[in-house]
Order: sequence, then structure tokens, then C-alpha cells
Amino acid sequence: MAVDRLLVIGAGPAGLEAARGAADMGKEVLLVEATGELGGTPYAHYATLTPHLQETHDAMQEMLDGVKTHPAIDIRYNTRVVESEGQAGNFQVVLESTDGTRATEAVGAVVVATGFTHFDPGRETQLYGYYEFEDVITLVDAEHMMKDGRIVRPSNGQPPEKVAFIQCVGSRDRHIGNRWCSKVCCGIASKQAIEIKRMLPNAKVFIFYIDMRMYGFWEDQLYWKAQEEHKVNYVRGIVTEILKKGDKLLMKGEDTTMGRPVEVLMDLIILSVGMEPSKGTLEMANVFNIPREDHGFLATVGEPLDTVTTPVAGVFVAGAAAGPKDIEDSVSMGGAAAIKAVSFLNRLSKSLA
Amino acid sequence: MLSNLYPEVPLEEKQRLFDQVKADARFEDYLYGCYECGICVAACPSARFYDFSPRKIAQTLAREDIEMFYEQMNDDIWNCSQCFSCVRCPRHNNPGGLITIMREVAVTNGLRSTKEALAGYTRIIYKIMTTGTQVSPDMLQEDAFPDWGPQVKEVASHLDLWRRALPPETLHTTGLSWQVEERTMLELYTIWKLTGVLDMISELDEGLHDIMEEVMDDALEDQGFTIA
Ligand SMILES: Cc1cc2nc3c(=O)[nH]c(=O)nc-3n(C[C@H](O)[C@H](O)[C@H](O)COP(=O)(O)OP(=O)(O)OC[C@H]3O[C@@H](n4cnc5c(N)ncnc54)[C@H](O)[C@@H]3O)c2cc1C
Ligand code: SF4
Ligand code: SF4
Ligand code: SF4
Repeated sequence: MAVDRLLVIGAGPAGLEAARGAADMGKEVLLVEATGELGGTPYAHYATLTPHLQETHDAMQEMLDGVKTHPAIDIRYNTRVVESEGQAGNFQVVLESTDGTRATEAVGAVVVATGFTHFDPGRETQLYGYYEFEDVITLVDAEHMMKDGRIVRPSNGQPPEKVAFIQCVGSRDRHIGNRWCSKVCCGIASKQAIEIKRMLPNAKVFIFYIDMRMYGFWEDQLYWKAQEEHKVNYVRGIVTEILKKGDKLLMKGEDTTMGRPVEVLMDLIILSVGMEPSKGTLEMANVFNIPREDHGFLATVGEPLDTVTTPVAGVFVAGAAAGPKDIEDSVSMGGAAAIKAVSFLNRLSKSLA
Repeated sequence: MLSNLYPEVPLEEKQRLFDQVKADARFEDYLYGCYECGICVAACPSARFYDFSPRKIAQTLAREDIEMFYEQMNDDIWNCSQCFSCVRCPRHNNPGGLITIMREVAVTNGLRSTKEALAGYTRIIYKIMTTGTQVSPDMLQEDAFPDWGPQVKEVASHLDLWRRALPPETLHTTGLSWQVEERTMLELYTIWKLTGVLDMISELDEGLHDIMEEVMDDALEDQGFTIA
């Protein structure tokens, strides 16, 4: 007898949509989240969301409440999936909470939505002196500051006069081993540049890029807006080196379209770090034997037409666990995974009835 | 950033000219943001023959690169043919229009490089502004433009006859490209004076300005017009 219950692992945008969708279609859902809060990486870290620069908690509250109050969703906070036995229709999964207690639960199908982690610019080669210079920060550090409504130089607490973003840090680089584009960082840097200009209208803001990748409507909602309304300076050319000069940062690179070297002093440099599979995503690959595709994210079968079905029967994936995604993509995948998982459970209960 | 071909000119002076360009009412319609895609360069006839790029003009103004802007004011803007093929820009920029504004600022400020660039055009400026027609048949002189070839000499020596062979009577002129009604000229003078176009010339070539002003004032006065 198949277990008519769905396990969703990870309560970011993808997992929340998958859980809500499956529960709305009448299934019992067990939602397991490693932290003490729903909402995933954006809710925990980001001040505002694209494209309308709405405050993140405001923007996501309705989605969170819908899941929290849903009678068919059983949420386990501070809990991870550590083992799984059995197969489609009857997985016996072992859950472990942060205090060490374990419990075994039976589920018929699984949606893995364990997301991504931010590239760590110190991991490989001390990239751009992130761990050396206080005023070199990442997009994530900048979001944390913006949550407090400010942007300052960590070294002295003063607002910066000149700010530079460096794109593609940890992405599109054979040396680092990450051959993919992280998809969102061009838009996020543009979004943050707008926010910085709103807070500090006299600051000069530069974005150094390889190519600006603005999918769909982000083109005019973020890129044109930053460039035209806020006079953000986009310079094609990637910085090779950052040095300390007095209390400023000297950045060296090439302005490739003007065909000349650039050496400019900056007060604050923000690294546009990309996405890598999260620790939880790698763990789930092991627990459920899900193959990883070329880049290390969870593999799906039948791309581009099926974005959520993994090669393991009864196991589906949604969101950034399957590769770099923005929230729209993650939520769409959450919905698609809910439909596939629910119809999978329905087929099982018919055939095994 | 790293360009400074005119170190002897103080930054404040360069900034002053830049601010004048930016303050022009047309500026914000002519420059949104630049992709640096080069569509304008591909369309630009001048870019094929000179070391000249409308992309760099748009980029420099967008980036507010004051040093580079000053270089372009001196070394680039007179390479443009003002054909406006560059308005194909996907961002709806108008690099040629930006150059128009830069030229006007260069002229009104009488930049030395502008005086040099326009020195050969004194006769043409005079002709256009006083008659409304540009190159007149009597400019066809053997020595003026050697690349027009040897037959110019023959044409020039019987110019009046050649012109009278043309069917429209309005083209039976030698000192003008075509006949211009006096009323039209008076309207032109009024426009040059009221719009400040005549004044623009004074920084560039004071002598030329004074001669033209006299011609215009006399003609207007003869007909009983006074322009405040
Ligand atoms: C700096 C930055 C800013 C961004 N800003 C935007 C933006 O403004 N707009 C936009 O559209 N996109 C933005 N993105 C992209 C966005 O963060 C992702 O699209 C989105 O977070 C992906 O959602 P997800 O649910 O797949 O993963 P996540 O949001 O990463 O959520 C995964 C969840 O799974 C949980 N988890 C992990 N492992 C386990 C485990 N073993 N067991 C249980 N739970 C686990 C995590 O705790 C987390 O709650 C941004 C990305 C970056 C890098
Ligand atoms: S989205 Fe932009 S910054 Fe991010 S990896 Fe792709 S090209 Fe680089
Ligand atoms: S207007 Fe000038 S810049 Fe534009 S295409 Fe013509 S010559 Fe080139
Ligand atoms: S001005 Fe327009 S056409 Fe020219 S490079 Fe910039 S965006 Fe492209």
C-alpha cells in the first residue's frame, strides 16, 4: 500500500510553493526545514526583492502565512533528513533535529528544495582580498547592511563616495571550477546600485562586468533604471586585482570598450558572488542517490521539457537545488514539482490499490 | 579615468563646458544609457574614414568622463557628418545629436581647435548666413578643389553661359546657388539674430561676425525693420 503523503525538504520559495500546491491538491505534506524559519535564503538574508524593490519580509509574508496555517502541512523546524530507505511509494526517512532527536517518517514521494549557497570568495585563492580588506564585501554582506537601512564602509562606518561592484565572482571561471552563470547577480548588483544611489545620491557607483545578463523584464526594470535614472556607471572589463592604498582600495583592470587600462580608487567594493549547491543539496544527493549533473547541482531528466523529475523514481527537485534560479523560476518549479509529485502519488495509489 | 591629453587646461574649465552640454534642453532626449554595442559605429560613415566613434561619444557623456569629453570636444566632434544614421541606437540615443550640442558649445566658447577646424569654412558660413544658399557656382575655381578635375577650368570660364543653359530660370545665377527672394533673406536675418545663431559666431571669428551683422542690419534697416 503506497503512502499517500509528500515530503518537501527545504522551505525556501521553491519548497513553500511545492508544499502549498500539493496540500491544496489534497495531499498530506510533511515540510522539513533545517532552520527555525520559513522563507529560505531570501527571507533570511535579503533586504528587498526584485523587481519592485519591495521589503523582503513584506513581500513574502502572505506566502509564509499560507503555509504556516495550512491544515494539511506538517512543518518540522530545525530538522534535517539524514537517511532514507525504501523506494517510491514508501520511503522511510530519518529526520534529525538540531537537538539530536531522531524520528522516522513514511512518505510516498519527495520534493527536494534545499537550495543554494553563496560562493565564498576566500575559499580558493583569497579572491580580491575578501578576507584581507574590510571594505571588500559581498552582495550578501551588502544586503545585511541594507536590512538596517544603511550602506557604509565597514572599516570606518562612513558612507562611501565611490562604490564598485565586480561581477561574476565565483561564476563563469574554469580556474574555480564553476563554469555556469549564476543568473541573478547582474540583476541583484543593479538593484543594489539603485538602492545605494537612493541612500547616497552623491555617491559614484560603478559595475564592472563581462556581459550584463538581465533576463526578460529585469532589462528595463533594473538595468536601464540603474543606468538611466540613477546614473550608475557600467564598465565592461573585469578587475584583476585590488590593492590597499592609504585608506582606499585601488582596483586595476581594463576598460575594454574604451580600450585602456583602468586604475581607480574606491571606498567600497562589492563582490557579486554567485550560487553553488548548498550543503543540504549535496546531502540530499547522497541520501536519495540523486545523480548530480555536470555542474554539481541535482540532475533532472528530460530537460528542457521536464524541469523537476530526477532520475530516481518518486523524487523531484525544485528551485536552486537544480541550478541557479531566481525566485520566479524557483516558485514556478515548486508548482511544477507539486503537480508531478501529486500525480505520481495518485498513480501509485491506483496501481497498488 | 586614464586620459588626459590636455593637462594644461584646468579641470574646472573642462567641467564648465561639460555642464553646458548637459544643461542643453535636448540632452536628456539624446542620451539614455549606452550598451556599448556599436550599432551606431556600424552605421556611421565617418567612422569608416576617421578614427572616430559615436559610441565613444555616448559612452563618455554617460559616464561623465570629463577628461575624455574634453578630448572629444577638441579632437572628434568635427569628424561627424551629421547624417544621423546613428539614431538606429536600440536605447534611442542620438549620438549625432549629442555632437550637435557639443559643437554648439565648442563654437559659442570659441575653442581654439574649433577655430582651426572651421577656418576653411569662413566663406561658406558667410554665404549661408547672408544668402541662405551654400556652395555657389562661382566657387568652382580651378585652384579651389583640385579633386574636381581639369574640366572645372572650362566650366568656370563660361560660367554665366552654362548657368543660362539650365531650364529653370531661378538657377540662372552665379554668385548664388539659386535666386533668393529678398523677403526670404530678411526672414533669415531675423531668425539668425533672434535665435542667437549670429551671436554664436562672434567667439569663433569676430571679424566675420561683424561683417555679417553689418550686412544684415543694413538690409533690415533699408526695409524699415528693427530687431531688438
Ligand atoms: C545576493 C542574492 C540576492 C538575491 N536576490 C533575489 C531577488 O531579489 N529576487 C529573486 O528573484 N531572486 C533573488 N536571488 C535568488 C534567490 O535567492 C533564489 O532564487 C531562491 O532563494 C531559490 O529558492 P530555493 O527555495 O530554491 O532555495 P533557498 O532559498 O536557498 O532555500 C532553501 C531552503 O532549504 C533549507 N535547507 C537546506 N538544506 C536542508 C536540509 N538538509 N534539510 C532541510 N532543509 C534544508 C534551507 O535552510 C533553506 O530554507 C538572490 C540571490 C542572491 C545570491
Ligand atoms: S548573472 Fe551576471 S554576474 Fe552573475 S554570473 Fe551571470 S553574468 Fe556573472
Ligand atoms: S551623425 Fe555623425 S556620428 Fe551619427 S552616424 Fe552620422 S556621422 Fe556618424
Ligand atoms: S549609443 Fe546606442 S548604438 Fe551606440 S553603442 Fe551606445 S547603445 Fe549602442
